[in-house]
Amino acid sequence: METIVFIALLTSTVATLLGVFSKSTKQTIALMALQAAAIGFVELMYVLVNLVLGLHMEALVKFIASFVEWFSAAAISPLIIYWGMVRTADTVDKPLIDVRRGSLIVAAIVLIHLGLWVYYYQVIPKQLEALPFISLMFTLSVYLMVTRRDPLKVLVGLNMAENALFPLLARSPMVVVPFLLVLMIFVNIVGVFIVMESHRDYGSMEISDWRLSR
Amino acid sequence: MYSLLPLLCLVAPTFVAVLCLFTLPFDFLESFYSRIEKESLILGTGLTLVIVMAMVPDALAGMVLETPLLALRFDLTNAAGLLGVAVIFFLTSIYNIKSETGGRLKPSMYNFFVLLFQVCMLGLLLSFDLFYIFVFVELTIGVSIVLVAHSRNRLASESSYKYLIITAISALFVLFAVLVVYVLTGNSNLLALEGGLGVIQENPQLVALLAACFIIGLGADIGLVPFHGWVPDVFPASTPAVNGFFCAEPIAFILALYKLVKPFHHALDSNLIMVMYLGVGAASILFGALMAFSQRDFMRMMAYTSIEGFGHMLLALSLFTPLGFVAGTVYIVNGALMKMGVLLCLGSVSIMYGTNDMDALGGLVRRMRKVALIYVVCVLSVAGVPPLSGFYSKWLLLSAVNEYLLPHGTMVTVLVLGAFVSVSMVSAVYLIRSFQWIFLGRDRDEQKIVSRVPWAMWLPPALVALLAVLIGLQPWLLLNLIGVS
Repeated sequence: METIVFIALLTSTVATLLGVFSKSTKQTIALMALQAAAIGFVELMYVLVNLVLGLHMEALVKFIASFVEWFSAAAISPLIIYWGMVRTADTVDKPLIDVRRGSLIVAAIVLIHLGLWVYYYQVIPKQLEALPFISLMFTLSVYLMVTRRDPLKVLVGLNMAENALFPLLARSPMVVVPFLLVLMIFVNIVGVFIVMESHRDYGSMEISDWRLSR
Repeated sequence: MYSLLPLLCLVAPTFVAVLCLFTLPFDFLESFYSRIEKESLILGTGLTLVIVMAMVPDALAGMVLETPLLALRFDLTNAAGLLGVAVIFFLTSIYNIKSETGGRLKPSMYNFFVLLFQVCMLGLLLSFDLFYIFVFVELTIGVSIVLVAHSRNRLASESSYKYLIITAISALFVLFAVLVVYVLTGNSNLLALEGGLGVIQENPQLVALLAACFIIGLGADIGLVPFHGWVPDVFPASTPAVNGFFCAEPIAFILALYKLVKPFHHALDSNLIMVMYLGVGAASILFGALMAFSQRDFMRMMAYTSIEGFGHMLLALSLFTPLGFVAGTVYIVNGALMKMGVLLCLGSVSIMYGTNDMDALGGLVRRMRKVALIYVVCVLSVAGVPPLSGFYSKWLLLSAVNEYLLPHGTMVTVLVLGAFVSVSMVSAVYLIRSFQWIFLGRDRDEQKIVSRVPWAMWLPPALVALLAVLIGLQPWLLLNLIGVS
C-alpha cells in the first residue's frame, strides 16, 4: 500500500474512532465530514493527476465522477444531517456504554482487525488492500450506531459506515455512480424527515422516548 | 430473444408515477388530480399487469425475453414472481380506492411512491446485474420507509426509523459484496458469474463471506430472523393498503437473494451456504410460529406469521434443487397472495372498528359476512388446509425436502418432515383461533354502528380467495409458470 493511501485511510479511521466518543451532534457531523473528506482525498488526487497528465475525455469524466462522489459524501450528506439538527436540536449526550468500557471494546475491535490483517495479509488480493481499514471503519460506525440514543447520531453512524466503502465504491462502473449517489442522498433525506417529524410529534430526540410516548 | 417488453414493464409504471408527481407544483392540476388520484394508481398498476401478462405466452413457449443493455430478462424463472407482484399491486390499488383516506403525503406523492415501489419489485425480479439489483434494493428501502411514514398512526415514526436503520445498514452488506465481486472479477452480470467466479472461486472463505453478506443484507430487508426487528412494528404502523402493497416485497427479495447466492453455492465445494440458508430459515420458522401464537394484536400476529412464511420459502430454496426451486417459488407467490388476502380483510376490520386488538373484537361475522368468509378461506390456505392452494404449496415443499433428505436416511427425513408438520399445525391453530376471536362468539360492542364494507374493500381479497380455491384444485395454473434455469 502506498504511504499516502495509508495516511488517508488512517486519518479517516481516526475520525471514525473519535466519532464513537463524540458528545454533541454537531461534533459527530464534523467528524463524519472529515472521515469522508480524508477517505476520498487520495482517489480524487489520483484522478486529478491523471486528468492533468492525460487531458483526455475519459480522465475528465472520471475526475467529475470522483469529485461528485467525494463532494456528496464530504459535504452534501453532512449538510443534510446538519440541516436536520438545526431544525431539531444539537443533543449533547454520552454513548450508552460508558467511556472506560467503550474504550476497551473499541481497543478489542482494533486489535481483532489488526490480528486478522496480519493473519490474512498474504491472502488478501491486491485490489482489496484497503479491506482491513474498510472493515474496521465499518465496525466502528456500527458500534457508534448501536451505542447512541440520538437518531441523528445514528444517522451519522450510518453515513460513516457508507463512507467506509468509498475505496471500493470509487471503482464501480461510471454508469451506476449517479444512481448510487442519488439513492444515498435520498435515504439521508428520508431519515432526517422522519427525525424531524418524530421530534415534532414527541418533542424528544431520544428513540426510547418515542417508544414510551405511544 | 431481444425484447423491449421487460424494459417497458419498468418504464410504464415509472411514467405514470412521474405524471403523478408532475401535478404537484401546479395548483390547478392538483385540484384536477385529486378527482382522479385513485384511478391513476389503478391505471399504473393495471398497465403493468397487462404488460406482464403480454410476456407470459412467450415465456410459456420457452422463450427468454431480454433487454441486454440493462441486463433485464423475463423467463420461467421469474414469470410467476412478476405476475404475483403485478396482481398484488393491481388488487391492492383497487382496495386503496376506499381504504386510503389520506396521510402525511399528498395523493400525488403517495401514488408516486407506490408506483416507484412497484418498479423496484419488478426491477429486482427482472434484473440480472449486481449493481442494478443493489440500486433497486436501496431504492426499495427509501420508498418503503416513506410509505410507512405516510400513516398518521402514532407508531409510524418510530417504526419507519427503525426500519430505515436496520435495512440501510444491511444494504451496505449487499453493496460491499457487490463491489468486491466487481473489483475482483470485473463483471457484474449474474448470468456470466454463474459460469464461474474467477479469482473469488480460489478463495472459499471469501466465497462464503460474500454469500453471507448477501444473506445478511437481503435477509434484513425481507425480515428474516435475526434481522427481523422492524417487521412486528411496521405491520401495525402502516396503513392497510400499504400493508397490502408490502406483500409483494418477499416475492422480489427472496427470489433476488436466490439469484445472488446461487453462483456462490455452485462455486463453493461444500454445503456451507446451504447451511447458512437453512439456519436462518429454520430460526425464522420456529421464532415466527411461536411469537405469532402469543399475539393479541392481529397485525403483529400477521407480522410473525410472515416471518414464519419467509423461513419456509428460504428453506425450500436452500436445497438448490430443481424441485426445491419450484416448491420455493410456489410457496413465495402463493404465500404472498394469501397473506395479502388476510391482511386486506384485517385492514377492513381495523378501518371499521378502529382497533387491532383481537380481545376487543368478536362476533363480526354477523356484520361483515363477506369479509369473514374471505378471511376464513385465505387463513385456511395459509395454514395449508386442503383443497386450497396453501396445501399444495406445503405439499410441494415437503416433497422437495423428502427428495433431498431420503438418500441421507429415512430417520432424518421422518424427523424433519415431522418437525415441519408440527410447526404447520401450530400456525394453523393460531390462524383459525384468530378467526374465532375476531368473527365468532359474542359481539363485544353491539351498540356500535358500523357501515357496510364497501365493494372495493372486499372484492380484491375475494379474488384472492377465489385464486386459493382455483390453484388448490388446478395447481398447474401456477406450476406451468415456473421453470428451472
